[in-house]
Amino acid sequence: MPKFIRIDMGAKAVKIEECPEKYAGLAGRGLTSIFVADEVKPTCHPLGKNNKLIFAPGYLTGTSAANSGRLSCGAKSPLTGGIKESNTGGTFAQRMSKMDIKALVFEGLPEGDGFYVVKVTMDGATIEEAPAEIIGMGNYEAIKVLQAKYGPKVGVAIIGPAGEMRLTAANISFADPQSNIRSAGRGGLGAVMGAKKIKAVVIDDTGAPGVTIANPEAFKDASKRFTNALTTHPVTGQALPKYGTNILINILNEAGGLPTKNFRSGRNEWANNVGGETMAAVIESRKGKTTHGCHAGCIIRCSQHYNDKDEKYLTSGFEYETIWALGANACVDDLDAIAYADREFDDVGVDSIETAVTVGVAMEAGIIPWGDAKAMLDLILEIRKGTPLGRILGSGAGALGQMYGLSRVPTVKNQAIPAYDPRAVKGVGLTYATTPMGADHTAGYAVATNILKVGGFVDPLGKAGQVELSRNLQIATAAVDSTGMCLFIAFAILDIADGFNALVEMINARYNLSLTGDDVVALGKTILKAERGFNERAGFTKAHDRLPEFFEEPCAPHNVTWDFTDEEIDEVFNF
Amino acid sequence: MAKSIELRGFMELSELFRERGWNTPHEVAVPDTMTGPELLALLDVGRERVEVIFVNGKATSPEAATVAGGDRVALAPPGVPGPYRVLLGFKKMG
Ligand code: SF4
Repeated sequence: MPKFIRIDMGAKAVKIEECPEKYAGLAGRGLTSIFVADEVKPTCHPLGKNNKLIFAPGYLTGTSAANSGRLSCGAKSPLTGGIKESNTGGTFAQRMSKMDIKALVFEGLPEGDGFYVVKVTMDGATIEEAPAEIIGMGNYEAIKVLQAKYGPKVGVAIIGPAGEMRLTAANISFADPQSNIRSAGRGGLGAVMGAKKIKAVVIDDTGAPGVTIANPEAFKDASKRFTNALTTHPVTGQALPKYGTNILINILNEAGGLPTKNFRSGRNEWANNVGGETMAAVIESRKGKTTHGCHAGCIIRCSQHYNDKDEKYLTSGFEYETIWALGANACVDDLDAIAYADREFDDVGVDSIETAVTVGVAMEAGIIPWGDAKAMLDLILEIRKGTPLGRILGSGAGALGQMYGLSRVPTVKNQAIPAYDPRAVKGVGLTYATTPMGADHTAGYAVATNILKVGGFVDPLGKAGQVELSRNLQIATAAVDSTGMCLFIAFAILDIADGFNALVEMINARYNLSLTGDDVVALGKTILKAERGFNERAGFTKAHDRLPEFFEEPCAPHNVTWDFTDEEIDEVFNF
Repeated sequence: MAKSIELRGFMELSELFRERGWNTPHEVAVPDTMTGPELLALLDVGRERVEVIFVNGKATSPEAATVAGGDRVALAPPGVPGPYRVLLGFKKMG
């Protein structure tokens, strides 16, 4: 039986249980969300003693399956006040699986101001005082200190200064194979960890038995087909490795859906300067790496090493959404400045999407001028200093908008709206409005061909077919988020029906099950219903499933508006 | 009077255009109206290198595209991530 480890920070006690029966068939987002819905009091204060933070690897994490090294982190979100699952790469999840740990749960609140390190080994877990030097330290440096102390190969989950300050945009950072940083970014889970006074969790898998596979032959066969689907597809085989997710800048700009100047327009003239094509050329000219995997076993490798002008490593995991938020939405036409900002977000430990959108709102408020790269970097550095303005910035777009009396604040359920204008890409707009996570593009990411039965093309600018599309994407995504697979596998399996079948067969072969594609869809529905049920009990109603009013304004170049009625929006979750 | 379109190419097509010494955007003289396949032939770009043609910000398959002078046109190769291909109308659902 896999282990379920509860770390009670209030009593400073560790309890190692066998995985409770009701969670046995779950993993990844399915486990974190159903656990939170089950055990966390929906009306609790997210930073109080009744919130619980859970880490869970997916069904296939730790196996040899390609791209299966992802971790789900769940809790009640201090940013949205609703349920949250935040997904990350790094080395942590694979270690948990190899040690046969189904979940790590952090409960309670300690007294006093000291921070702790939770150390997880095959002998169990211990709670130790955190080394004084890492308090207030940036994540890059602190990971080095921890790996020097606990072993160079230990997995590390850590909060930066932002998490220590319990800011609602604080993330949890995870060391990748090169001890750089990946993040469970959205929803402020770093503040939950900070409230529990956990500076870091280190995991050492020495002596771990490894993952057992019930039917190794069947697993090998399915895994081969799955890998084949990923390596032969033009998206995951070529485009993502070379250009990263930032290929989307030019595509969205062309489609008129690249929000510019705090969502005033869907297109700008300088997009190509910060787009993936330009970025790949800059990386190559500075001897960086255009391709890099955020965990061992990733064969898509959408990440990269972006070097500065002196060819020194600056940042990785440099994603479309961050580049969009600063490069288009805040009008900063300067890829290097954006890369410095991205590094600072990782180092201080804030969600790069939330905080970068907040920078645009700060420009809206007149705190700094539009497009001013230097002022942007200075502003972001305020977070680390813990100044009042820095704390406001680190609390997200909604907080800053409120402090400065703005109505043009792009959030849903207080979470910042990412990189796709909902007026010009209407299916994403419905997902922003309705996902239990607060505005989140990845909530509607997975495309499972067998459930996209609606047929026909959807016109991104029109309403027809969008409700079904958003619903089906959200269901498939909830399921894929439980597999431990990076969601980007969905970029390819849409076209290769066998890719999705192979994914289900790998789960079956690992656990000796006989799930079908329909079971996976049913799992997706169960997860979404549990999440929505939690939110309802926390006080959310349909009225929270709405976009800000300013989306009624036309968006150039297509001059489209957000024109769904409330009834139409409510249909998304009618299943 | 000869008319022209404003042309862009993405991903590896941007590299192809750069190798040819074309600017971003590149101005191309065109007859009054032409079909997508005619445009690709004029540009000497293989059909297999293009998934959709954007004409004034709307994505269509090359076969369904019509291009006329004054249009803003962009070629996107295969390689745009799955969900976006559905959401932006590149690909049929189901
Ligand atoms: S595709 Fe990108 S995000 Fe996904 S596992 Fe690989 S490097 Fe990480």
